[in-house]
This record gives sequence, C-alpha cells and structure tokens, in this order.
Amino acid sequence: MIARAGRPSAHALAFAGVAILLLAAAAVLPLDAPPLALFACPFRAATGLPCPGCGATRAFHYAVRGRFCEALSFSPLATLVAAACGAHAVWTVLRLAGLPFAPRLENTPRARWVAAIALLANWIFVSVQGRL
Amino acid sequence: MKRREIPGCFAEVGIAPPPRKLLGRPAGPAVDVLEGAVLARCPSCRNTFSTDRPGRQDCPVCGKPLVVPEPPAAPPTPGDLAPEPAGTPWERRAELGFFTAWMQTLQQALLEPGKLFASARLDRGAAQLGFAVLNTSVFWALGQLLERPLLMGQRDQLRRILEGMSGNPDVAPVVQRLLEAQLQAGSPSWVVALALLTPVFTFLLLYVNAALTHGIAVILGQAKRGFPATFAACAYACAPLALLAVPACGSIVGLIWLVALTAVGMKVTHRISTTGAAASVLAPYFVLCCLMLAAFGTLTLALRRAVGQP
Repeated sequence: MIARAGRPSAHALAFAGVAILLLAAAAVLPLDAPPLALFACPFRAATGLPCPGCGATRAFHYAVRGRFCEALSFSPLATLVAAACGAHAVWTVLRLAGLPFAPRLENTPRARWVAAIALLANWIFVSVQGRL
Repeated sequence: MKRREIPGCFAEVGIAPPPRKLLGRPAGPAVDVLEGAVLARCPSCRNTFSTDRPGRQDCPVCGKPLVVPEPPAAPPTPGDLAPEPAGTPWERRAELGFFTAWMQTLQQALLEPGKLFASARLDRGAAQLGFAVLNTSVFWALGQLLERPLLMGQRDQLRRILEGMSGNPDVAPVVQRLLEAQLQAGSPSWVVALALLTPVFTFLLLYVNAALTHGIAVILGQAKRGFPATFAACAYACAPLALLAVPACGSIVGLIWLVALTAVGMKVTHRISTTGAAASVLAPYFVLCCLMLAAFGTLTLALRRAVGQP
C-alpha cells in the first residue's frame, strides 16, 4: 500500500544506512575468507538442521551480484530481505529528494499470519533443499 | 437511541434514530438528524433542529430567540488521562547536563528499568540511538584498556600456542588465516581500528536487533505502539553493556542483562504482558545467538582439529 508521506523519519534514514551497510558488506566481503568464512551455524552443528537464518549470507552475496536464482536457492526469504534493503535505500533517497509517497505496511492479523508462514516455509525450504 | 437532557430547559441535545429505522424516509440526512454538533429543541414551539454552535440564536421554525447550551464535554479517555512522558534523563540532557543525564539513565536502566522505560519518549529515536552507541563504545574501549594489562599473561600464552600451530602444515588454510587473524588482533593498530569501528557495529547491531525483535513482536501481535517503542526498549537495554569494561566475565553478564532488560522495555513501552514481551525478545535472540556464537563455535572446532582432538 502506497500512502502520502512527508520526509523520512530518523528511523527510516537509519534503516536506509543499515541496508546500505549490509549490501555493501555482502558486495565486498568474499564468502571463502574471514570474517565470513568463520561463520558456522552452531545450531546446525549441534542438531544437523539449519536454523531459520541459515543461507542468508550466501543469499545476500548472490543477490547483490544480481544472481537471484542462486540467491533464492539458498534462502528465498533472505533474498527478499536483500531486495527490500535495496528498495528501501533507493526509496529513502527519493523521499529525501521530495517524493511525497511511502509504502505503508498494515499490521493486520492476515499480514501476521503471512509473515509467520513465510518464515516457516523458508525454514522448511532451507532444511529440505539442503544446499548449505 | 439515547437522548441526553441538558439542564436549563432551553434545548435538548441528543442523537436522532438512523434513517434505516424510519420506514419510507430517504436514506439521506433527515431534518432532525444530527448534522452539526448538537440537536436542539425549541422551548417555545417544541420543534427540533440541528445546530453546530452553542449560544444565543433564533429558532429556525418559529423564529423566537433561544439559547443552546454548551454540550457537556466528552468523558476523558484513558489515553487522554495518561500524561505525556517527560523523557528519560538522557532525553533531557540539555537541562540536566551531559554527564549527569548519562549517569542517571544508566542508574535507572540498571536499577529502576520500569521507571526509565515509562518515561521514554517515542519521538526521541536519535537520542536513544546516541545513548546506545556512546555507552557501548565507551565501555568497550575502557574494557580493552583494562583487559590488556590484567590478562597479559593469558594473552602471551595463547599467542605462543597459536604461533606453534600456525606453522603446522596439517592445519587447513582457513584455520591458518584464522590463527593469523588471532595473532594480529592483539596488536595496538587492530585495537584502535576496532575502537573506531565499534560505533558502526553498535549502530548496525542495534537496528538489526530492533528490527528482528519488532518483527517477532508483530507476528505475535505484541507490537502495540509501533517500531519507535521497540527501538526505545532495545536502545536503553544497551545500558548493561557498561559491564564490557569489566574484564573476563563482564561481557557475558552484560549480554544476559541486556536480553532481560529488552524484555522489560518491550513490556513497558508497548504496554503488553510479561509473557508476550518475553516471547518477542527471546525468539530473535535465538536467531542472533546462532550468528554471534558462530565464530566461537568455528574457532573451537578449528582449535580442536588443529591439536588433533576429534
């Protein structure tokens, strides 16, 4: 839902900064060298199953390089988050330039169920697909 | 429908029945439907008319003068009764002074968290971010300064072990790089670089933590007052990171305290139950713990493999 809005809030600006930092880190840091190479999921090491966040680093890595199919194969939800980070950063810049519209997310029960199911579905996908 | 009698016998205020209850009448506003602020009844001709202003006026039917009294004020809602919070000491640092405000905020966060979170203003996100970044950065740097002389012996011992292992050809290349990084990490240049990057990491982690906490709170239906309330809880919950200045166990105690304080903050700022607050806070930490412990897990595994243990 797009609604009329004024200038971005302090939190919106900060989130844009966070999004740019995350995307820049994903673009610059190689997967097979420290510090990213040092990350190993202890939940997976202990249980043999990936955690809900497993695959996010690789998904960000491929998403910022435009290889969305590979990114989606590692973690669809993290790929969406990476895309959302980029979209939010661009939109915030446009709002700073004078765009008077902003996306408005409704906190409805249906939206909450969709989010919960998306999390669960992503976890199941990551567990079953087993590319990690 | 209820009709309210206004004392004074000049007029009567009430709400007319809706048109659907009056068969055969058009669905538009009827003559006596409340159009303005009140419905009034002329004490002379007993006709009812609507008016949007109180005071002296003429009856639109008979033309006689009458006085429409002020409608009684609506009963105050609980939201109206709650006074606007004055702000935490840190948010009032302009009047209290920088250092006094910082210390009072720390004291309240550690000893009277309910009072601190209740006084937090949700429109002061930038100030709350400043508190978290300043507090974490300063005490982390202080901890590094104190840890260096106190744990010098342990560091030297670890360095000797790592130097011995880094020459071992059986150690995997990734582990080699890890060992080299460990050796470099103790150098003063690394400490200065980390000290400069700590505010950036704090900013990043604070927002990631707040976003995760808020996301889980939204899914659980506990985000009653929007993201600024979650952010205030997460920002002031960084107060126990003052324990980063305590060598060895300070960081662990500080992190556990931070989690508990975030739950208290969520409860107060969102005005939700203890169970809802605890669930909102613990679920993302489960995910974050995976990320934060990852490096430690890998290091342990790598060291075990390097020394030949299964």
